[in-house]
Amino acid sequence: MRKFLPVDDLARDERFAAITMKERFADQRTALNIDGAAQDKPRTKFRLTPERRDASDGARGLMHGIFVGEIQALEGAGRTCFDFETAGVAKTGTAATESSDMDVPFALKLDMARQCWDEARHVEISVKLSDWMGTEIGQYAENTVLFAAACSNDPVLRLAGVNRALEGLAIDVFTTMKEFGDLAGDPYLEFCEDWMLADEVTHVRMGSDWLRKVTEHDPERRKKALDFQGVVDKLFSYGGTRSDSDESPIGLARRFRSLAGFTDDEVEAINEVSIQALDERKARIAGARAAADHAPAG
Amino acid sequence: MADPFKARAPFAPWDRRTLPGLFDVEETARRVGNYKWAEMKLFEALGGWVATVPELDVKMRLGTHCYHHAWHAELWHKRLPELREMNPDRLTVPANDAMVRFVEAMTEPEAPDQTIEKLTGVYRVFIPRFIAAYTYHLNGTSEITDAPTIRSLKLILQDEFDDWRDGEMILQSLIETPEEAARAASHQQKLESIMIEAGGIAGPGTLGGM
Amino acid sequence: MPVTVSPDTFTYVSFEAATIQRIADELVGALGLQDRIVTIAVDETSPLARTDMQIVDGAIAIRAASGAFEDTRKPRQQSETITATALGRVLLRASDRLDGGFGEAPPDEELSLAQVAAWETYCIGRLERLGVHVNRQRWLYNFRNRHGFTDAGDVAFDALWSSPGLTWAQLCAISESALANRAPAATSAPAQP
Repeated sequence: MRKFLPVDDLARDERFAAITMKERFADQRTALNIDGAAQDKPRTKFRLTPERRDASDGARGLMHGIFVGEIQALEGAGRTCFDFETAGVAKTGTAATESSDMDVPFALKLDMARQCWDEARHVEISVKLSDWMGTEIGQYAENTVLFAAACSNDPVLRLAGVNRALEGLAIDVFTTMKEFGDLAGDPYLEFCEDWMLADEVTHVRMGSDWLRKVTEHDPERRKKALDFQGVVDKLFSYGGTRSDSDESPIGLARRFRSLAGFTDDEVEAINEVSIQALDERKARIAGARAAADHAPAG
Repeated sequence: MADPFKARAPFAPWDRRTLPGLFDVEETARRVGNYKWAEMKLFEALGGWVATVPELDVKMRLGTHCYHHAWHAELWHKRLPELREMNPDRLTVPANDAMVRFVEAMTEPEAPDQTIEKLTGVYRVFIPRFIAAYTYHLNGTSEITDAPTIRSLKLILQDEFDDWRDGEMILQSLIETPEEAARAASHQQKLESIMIEAGGIAGPGTLGGM
Repeated sequence: MPVTVSPDTFTYVSFEAATIQRIADELVGALGLQDRIVTIAVDETSPLARTDMQIVDGAIAIRAASGAFEDTRKPRQQSETITATALGRVLLRASDRLDGGFGEAPPDEELSLAQVAAWETYCIGRLERLGVHVNRQRWLYNFRNRHGFTDAGDVAFDALWSSPGLTWAQLCAISESALANRAPAATSAPAQP
């Protein structure tokens, strides 16, 4: 088995259909108000709450997104167990061999294995919840951007990508879904999302702790990792899917992010980058539509 | 109530624990180091394979079992300093070069249509070898002097039996044709041959007889 | 008379107007609406799964956002099953309004979320019996979200799903029987536009 599996080689059964970021970018439809001049127009609210007319379908779609996201998180944590050597431990033969910056501490690997188990349970929970909500496995397209963006060949960048960006997004999503379940009176949804949320807070904290420990004497590497996290956070906020704005279906879970070790400044930075992503998407679609309107007929 | 000051035997009549055991401190530490190395390699392989198997139920099982074996490695890691090995990494080694080759051969399958080979290596070769090595150790060590190792062995063995059963049942559900049965048998034979050369998880003498 | 679909060609999505027309014609026939003028206008710039319907002088005018006909597995591609479900729901609602018994039903935009869910359930149950593939659990979940996750709610759902013919008053009575048993924590806010 190779080290560092390319995202295109993620194995799926026949029910799953993949969609690439390129395909998502090619979709120029939107229900957002993209008329930049109409500042006085009320913004359309898309936050996932039971008041939304399409609430149950919205929740089903998001639940399927959680399901495939958990699969990718499981795969990402699993690959971290395998892709990197364990610092100080014999690779071959009967004696410890030379070490590398890319080696990871034994305890970090144990945490990743623990995360594997947690994510495997989350996949199980997601399958059961999807069934409860009337969604079939593979009913929605799977975007593998989570794995692609998060699985760097540098373990420190991977921690920043998987444990802080991806798992941070999971905190936001689970909080939105937990609140949805609570408001709708759905006993299973609220219960399950709360359990998963507890795990995700742990995973983010794990990532924050390891990032700090591993880069303790290497501020440059730490900065590189945090910069990488910023890039991934923006990618995960694609089109403003997640932000404080009511136009985003998913809100920023400030309290749980704080519990997970994010500072207020860090959360604010994620919000800013998400709003930026939302505005960029509107501008891109408006631009594309304007160009199409002015294109010669025929 | 009986007289509390009356002399009683320190070992109750039903307590049949004896001294000594088969392994001294040094030999126990050596074996524990081999166990830890092997459990590490197993949990790493299981984690790595999660992304390569298309079957959703297998994906989830591998993720779960990955942690079980990581936890076993952790238990052995914590036991080593208690066995006078203050640098646990020094004894975290394969029993011999054949063990290294075994792990390489076991982790070789990657393609999505090789789930049978992946599971055969783990559940029909490696885990049965763990069960054998741990059972031998459990039966041979002193229940008095080495009670901490025994406690770990019992906890770990429970996991090994449960995981073996899970994996074997999945394999039986995946193997549907004589050709697939032959694939599993062929891969098992290949891996067993290397394992015979290795002599078991802790090398020759894993099951005594040295 | 045949259903008319606009636009003729699509640029934002890979839909076929002829496919939409064929599916709609089959449903119109099955529901006995052949004598009605039916028009379908697709807003292909919106990915929402929304459908609206108006009846003007006996003619049925349907407006659908492109997400209503979209294959969720393959974005921007059309799904015949999803198209049939979306059109079937809205045509059955039109049929209910035109055939009588629903005269006192408020206009669509004034229906409460619970009323919408109850009527959807009544429509989808009949659609399933017409042979359209539907996921019953999806609609049960939708109904529970509006009427509460209770045994009484599920009984109401079954009644709506399996009923061959209801009046608006009967439908509302079933819906209200479920709402009466709903836990107080649940929301009862009006629908967003």
